[in-house]
Amino acid sequence: MSKPNIANELRNAAVEPLLPIEKKLIGWSLGVGVTLLVVLAVVNHLFPVQL
Amino acid sequence: MSSTTTTYSAGSIPRRADNVETAPRISEDWLSLIVGLVIFALALAGIANVDLLGWAVSTSAWTDITKALAPVAKSYASLGGFGSFVATYVALLVVLSVTVLALKSDLKRFALSFTAVFWIAYASWIVGSYANFAAVTPADLQKFGVNWSLKLTNEGGYIFALLAGIIIANFFPRFAEAIKAGVRPELYIKIAIVILGGVIAVTAAAKLNLASSLLLRGVAAIIEAYLIYWAVVYFVARKWFGFNREWAAPLASGISICGVAASIATGSAIRAKPAIPVLVSSLVVIFAVVEVLILPFLAQTFLWQEPLVAGAWIGLAVKTDGAAVAGGGITEALILAKNAAAGIKYQPGWILATTATVKIFIDIFIGIWAFILGYIWTNHINPTQDKAKPSEIWQRFPKFILGFLLTSAIGVYLVLGAPADIAAKVPAAMGEANTFRVIFFILTFFSIGVLSNFRTLWQEGIGKLAAVYVISLFGFVIWVGLLISWLFFHGIHPPLAS
Repeated sequence: MSKPNIANELRNAAVEPLLPIEKKLIGWSLGVGVTLLVVLAVVNHLFPVQL
Repeated sequence: MSSTTTTYSAGSIPRRADNVETAPRISEDWLSLIVGLVIFALALAGIANVDLLGWAVSTSAWTDITKALAPVAKSYASLGGFGSFVATYVALLVVLSVTVLALKSDLKRFALSFTAVFWIAYASWIVGSYANFAAVTPADLQKFGVNWSLKLTNEGGYIFALLAGIIIANFFPRFAEAIKAGVRPELYIKIAIVILGGVIAVTAAAKLNLASSLLLRGVAAIIEAYLIYWAVVYFVARKWFGFNREWAAPLASGISICGVAASIATGSAIRAKPAIPVLVSSLVVIFAVVEVLILPFLAQTFLWQEPLVAGAWIGLAVKTDGAAVAGGGITEALILAKNAAAGIKYQPGWILATTATVKIFIDIFIGIWAFILGYIWTNHINPTQDKAKPSEIWQRFPKFILGFLLTSAIGVYLVLGAPADIAAKVPAAMGEANTFRVIFFILTFFSIGVLSNFRTLWQEGIGKLAAVYVISLFGFVIWVGLLISWLFFHGIHPPLAS
């Protein structure tokens, strides 16, 4: 595939403010991600590696 | 890095005017799985006392070039080092030519290009095995009669292959273009990963508790890459740099998940212009190269006492499967060497296994994440008739991972479930398969180098994209990856070598 001119591509790209659905996606991703990491860290602490 | 899979319905296969199909009916993903399984199966013949791969070339640290190469099995010693090298080249040329035929690429062009790729890449590997670069312990230095060494180990040869590729890409661009048909890092690394499954299985089976614990901890990598990295990078690209959604989503996937594959999968899922993920991919490769040249040495310096933290970190921080998994190989070699110099001899394989586990866990979910994004985009952001369909999850699933899982399962079964006399022969058989894994790593590194034309960074307009990449990667991804790796892997050490 031939590469287009990036400068033109970016210059012609329309300005788009963050939509509520995007904010939701970002917020939920971070919220669920941090929560799951905390849960995993607790599990990791309670069930250490068996050698 | 997979997932460039394109499926064609019967009616949409591109045809020439004479009604001959021009698109392959099988993807590179499936072909890499098949080639990997064939090598794995040939290696397993060793458990029936039939040595089908013993002629493959292996390289040792050297000061006398005539002693650098040798067949991997003593039963093929009569071939000699150069004979085994030529045999390996011819065998790979034939096998890979078949895959290229299946992909409907130009066979003659591939054969010529692959010849250059193989010979230059392997020559770089041989240079990297020179005692002044590779020797590690004082005993090694004495054995080779040298009084200094960079202590890069044999695996330091990957760096030499990468540098050779970078030099060609940046100083001999016409030659880089001429050998492009043989520069297939995705094909090479996918084959290597399928083989790696069997090799890791032998290591893991001996300490199944540790291996399963590592697998559970790999889940953290998925959460980090998809839910935390992606969200932050997308926000940075959209809010701080003003990229529109069509650019920000593939960029976020490229930086946070698995480089090329994730960028392409996301671009396709949100129905972005095809050129966007292609542009993002060229950046991904360049930054992956920069990371591979820096991170393994940082890991050796600062994480040598936490080997598995280092392995997980490389898997989380380096984008693209090729650079990450092969980077894990370098990291393992460097850290094992430093520990060996301190009198601690860990079993090899565990650091690389950790990197590969983390990367493969991340890869598995590319299709699902792309579907989630596709669903949101085609239903809520840019509502369209061309809605994201669940079947796209399977289309984008990296099929070579099935090969990795299969070789792992067979390997574990043979070591733990087969009669003792068979189980005892499995490590040697996988040792021969591992020789090919190493060769495919070398080809991957060289190929990545050849694709790393740093002049891309000077292209008008790329600065803004690169700025997002630099800020996200060096300001966030690397450090959060280190934190998570530390949280889940610190204090866990590979078993000591007996």
